[in-house]
Amino acid sequence: MSSLRVTSPFKLGLWLLLAPLCLWLVLLIILPHLELLVFSFTEPEDGSFTFGFYQEFFLEPLYWRTFVRTAVMSIMATILTLLIAFPVAFYIAKMLKGRSKGIVFAMCLIPFWVSELVRTFGWMILLRESGVISNFLQWSGMSAGPVELLYTDATIMLGLVYTSMLFMVVPLVSTLDSLDDSYIEAGYDLGGTNWNVLREIVIPHAVPGIVSGCIIVFMLSLGNYLTPVLLGGKDSLWFTEQIYTQFITRFNWEQGSAFGLLLLLLSSLIVWAGLKLSGQSFAKTMG
Amino acid sequence: MSNETTIDLACENISKHFSDFTAVDNISFTIPKGSFFSILGPSGCGKTTLLRMLAGFEQPSSGDILIKQKSMVDVPPNKRPVNMVFQHLALFPTMNVEENIGYGLRRQSVPKNEIVERVAAVLDRVGLAGSGTKRVEQLSGGQRQRIALARCLVLNPTLLLLDEPLGALDLKLREQMKIELKLLQKEFGTTFVYITHDQSEALVMSDQIAVMNKGKFEQVGTPHELYYQPATAFVAGFVGDSNRWQGNIESADSATVLVSTSDGLSFKAKIMGDEAMSAGNRVEIFVRPEAISVNRTAPSTATDNQLVCQVETILFDGAKSQIIAVEEESGGKITVTLPQTSDFANLQQGDTLYLNWSTEQTLCFIDSSRGA
Ligand SMILES: Nc1ncnc2c1ncn2[C@@H]1O[C@H](COP(=O)(O)OP(=O)(O)OP(=O)(O)O)[C@@H](O)[C@H]1O
Ligand SMILES: [Mg+2]
Repeated sequence: MSSLRVTSPFKLGLWLLLAPLCLWLVLLIILPHLELLVFSFTEPEDGSFTFGFYQEFFLEPLYWRTFVRTAVMSIMATILTLLIAFPVAFYIAKMLKGRSKGIVFAMCLIPFWVSELVRTFGWMILLRESGVISNFLQWSGMSAGPVELLYTDATIMLGLVYTSMLFMVVPLVSTLDSLDDSYIEAGYDLGGTNWNVLREIVIPHAVPGIVSGCIIVFMLSLGNYLTPVLLGGKDSLWFTEQIYTQFITRFNWEQGSAFGLLLLLLSSLIVWAGLKLSGQSFAKTMG
Repeated sequence: MSNETTIDLACENISKHFSDFTAVDNISFTIPKGSFFSILGPSGCGKTTLLRMLAGFEQPSSGDILIKQKSMVDVPPNKRPVNMVFQHLALFPTMNVEENIGYGLRRQSVPKNEIVERVAAVLDRVGLAGSGTKRVEQLSGGQRQRIALARCLVLNPTLLLLDEPLGALDLKLREQMKIELKLLQKEFGTTFVYITHDQSEALVMSDQIAVMNKGKFEQVGTPHELYYQPATAFVAGFVGDSNRWQGNIESADSATVLVSTSDGLSFKAKIMGDEAMSAGNRVEIFVRPEAISVNRTAPSTATDNQLVCQVETILFDGAKSQIIAVEEESGGKITVTLPQTSDFANLQQGDTLYLNWSTEQTLCFIDSSRGA
């Protein structure tokens, strides 16, 4: 009996600590998804059960092609972000010491103090037909007329990579920081070239950071709405845009719910496949 | 000229400055092939810096490093015929034992089946045959030590550098590994450069020891030379235990001096070091505890130095037991080795001891700490 009394205040404290998290999970994640689930299987006319909205996704090529395009572009954006972020993170974690390390790291953070909308707008000012780059090209004579750099896949990619950079750099810096310099030195000492050391010592050590960075960036890109729509224009064909259209323009909440759930399901599937391919487990990556 | 070819490493006037701090100060030395060379010195004296220059991780500010007569200054670490056992071993945690040892061989593009053979052979030689598939964290401290050695030795380096590799081990294991290291070095015939701040490690294992202090070599010699003929007061104090007094010279002749210590004792001592000594110089004198002969009765013949003391404390440590004794008049203390004869079996606090030792065993150096 006494042991029960000793543990109960602790239990209360635990519950108080967990309460915000539980509320957040239940109210903002689980509840909406349950609602979506119910919506997506209900015929709006008579409230009966139907598979129709899911069928619609697979039967209408525009929908699933948009989805595939979104997934492929997100994967490419993730790989590109990794390729750019890795040298940056390595430089910050291993080459810089003391003050300069903090400063460079802070410089990576600063763009994220500005809202995504303003940042994307910044890109538009640079890239549009009457924008800074177009004007510069005309002024310098490298181009005869105005150049439109917006509304292409490359622009979307640029925006996605730029937006995701930080979320790749931070986990990479923290895993690379934990790699003791003596391992790298031992790698060279035993005859390794830069490439050998990177391939056999640095990358294997950084795998957890790489995987968690990739998951975050992939999910962010897949679920991004602002960047593809603003930089890609009307024809960006991003899957979140389809969901938006169903909910807001067409007022077809049932179809939108089905798309929302499909996005969740398929993105989880891709992440799972990625983890399997790289031989990692989710728990190991997050732990 | 035959001995030139047997020199594995020669350092010529190498220095290393970090901004305005001199970590290694104009050091020159040579190491003959197949020898076990130790660098012994207190913490922060520049040992690691020196070793890292040999491995190629630091560039000397000036001077030259020659390995087998070839200058190494512009050779990157991965091209030097030198391997290093790191202080914390740096066994790659993402690889198993076999992969760790094979890493260097893979870099030399050795064929796969030969790698397997050589890894197995070296594992056998360090006494860990069959543990190739174990993960690094499954090994004990001593086993990791041997794997780290094997990982270097499998490459047949000209020079193997070891930076306090036993530092992380507990005392028992360290004693055991000391002997094992020495045997492995003999067996492989590789030239070892071994860094330590533990004098017993250096004395037991080395063919040659360099005693380092504040970036300079104080003395290079065999363990025997360092112990019995220290060249400087620092070496005399750092290598082995000593009774140490400070005092002034009363009178001096060509080889010996008469010193009165600040405790008020008076000793005859042998002049050491290269500085000339004359009456009035401040000096330090060193006497090893085991050089003092201990008697319970007054000796019949007079010797160079003698003291009558009372036992203050007995520090019992088996065969290494010591007595701390106090001289009656001055109150000065002296440490002597407890003789293991029956005479001393019932020695007690307050007992009178007659101590005597020769001038030869009383080493006198100019006291450089406070100027001459
Ligand atoms: N990169 C560096 N920049 C500035 N000073 C350094 C650097 N590396 C070493 N030092 C200084 O050089 C001196 C010698 O360092 P070193 O690491 O060689 O000592 P050590 O003899 O190996 O000591 P320990 O036994 O504690 O390992 C130290 O005072 C250290 O502060
Ligand atoms: Mg050191």
